[in-house]
Amino acid sequence: MEADELLVLVAGGDQKAFEELYGLVAGPVYGLVKRVVRDPAQSEEVSQEVLLELWRSAARFDPGRGSALSWVLTLAHRRAVDRVRSARAAGEREVREARRSHSPAFDQVSEEVEAGLERESVRRCLGRLTDLQRQSVTLAYYDGLTYREVAEQLSLPLGTVKTRMRDGLTRLRACLGGVA
Amino acid sequence: MSILDRLLRREDLHSLAAPYALDALEPAERVRFEKHLDDCPLCAAEVRALTEDAVRLAWSTAAPAPAAMRDRVLAAVRTTPQEPAAQPEPARARTPQLPPHVWGTQPPPARARARRTRPLFAPVATATAAAALVVASLFAVQAGRTQDELDAQRAQAREIAHVLAAPDARASTGQDAQGRSIGVVASASEGSAVVTLSGYGDLPSGSVHQLWLMRPDVQPLSLGLFDGDTPLVASGLEKSATSLAVTVEPDGGSEQPTTQPVVQLALNSVGFGE
Repeated sequence: MEADELLVLVAGGDQKAFEELYGLVAGPVYGLVKRVVRDPAQSEEVSQEVLLELWRSAARFDPGRGSALSWVLTLAHRRAVDRVRSARAAGEREVREARRSHSPAFDQVSEEVEAGLERESVRRCLGRLTDLQRQSVTLAYYDGLTYREVAEQLSLPLGTVKTRMRDGLTRLRACLGGVA
Repeated sequence: MSILDRLLRREDLHSLAAPYALDALEPAERVRFEKHLDDCPLCAAEVRALTEDAVRLAWSTAAPAPAAMRDRVLAAVRTTPQEPAAQPEPARARTPQLPPHVWGTQPPPARARARRTRPLFAPVATATAAAALVVASLFAVQAGRTQDELDAQRAQAREIAHVLAAPDARASTGQDAQGRSIGVVASASEGSAVVTLSGYGDLPSGSVHQLWLMRPDVQPLSLGLFDGDTPLVASGLEKSATSLAVTVEPDGGSEQPTTQPVVQLALNSVGFGE
């Protein structure tokens, strides 16, 4: 069964369907959270919260707005970014250290995981963006920076960063083609 | 505020679509932008597209989740209550969530619209009521079933999800004089419909509610028998179908209706009858 169908059942309280759904989304959720949060223990904690939230608020899923997987990953990204920002605000040493030991460069996508086609094409398509487009997109998405922080880091005006983000995403869409 | 200021402000807000899709707004800005989205369908559509792009970036990061996490999450799920599927909250916080075009709050996608010559919208209240009826009865039947029943339900949920997800899925409802109702969510392009009865209670044993498809110049076509409150999924509906009707028939159903319909529902508001 596919994630969309499973989510309909989960919204009705079906725990078996949730187990099946977990199998489909746990890897993508954990991988994304870890990419943003870096620290494994914290990543696990955030992922757990996301997956539990998926169970609790399954009824809020709106199939008219996209697939269940996009919904889950959007939720996971939001929570991961929130965690990174509050940790940054609180000056948590562990997170900062974990971040330092991993350079955020786009081409350093973790190799230990089996490389799917999607991974390859995302890497290829990111490579086709201009440097500023790529940095604007990845600093925000993979590192959880706000667009103001991105502007600061790249020494660019705010308006330019917003435009680069939009151009970067649309060019990525053109390169990747269609909807996953 | 001058018109120019307002336009500039609007333009300024609009440019936040990409940072929003990347979760790169500060909390206050996020709230302000989400408010703006409510009044700007165009921006909402753009944000949706950009969010899909951002999600592509997520796909490339999948990694095996720690095994212990699975046990913890599944254990937590067993004791964690869910938000109710249908809560009568004010305004748009309405759940269960169906595609906006099913609620009748948004026109169906262009593909479906292009073919239509009739008025586009069923009254909003009607569409909402019917959709809520279908989903409520879907969720009402989950508890305390055997595995076989659960399996059958899964198969049915899949069919129902399929109808609801069709780009031209529309909802409608009809009521009889006693306030009992019939609800339908149908897709003309798929030729399928989910139909529910509500308020009809238990029939005397030996009789059953049978659903009929009414078409011009031909005999009614049986679409199946209702099993209590469980929604009935009908497929293979012809575009020319004009209405649905429900009759009380002897157990096992009849070849053709033998009694007057207890309730009837026209299908033109859900894209049929052309």
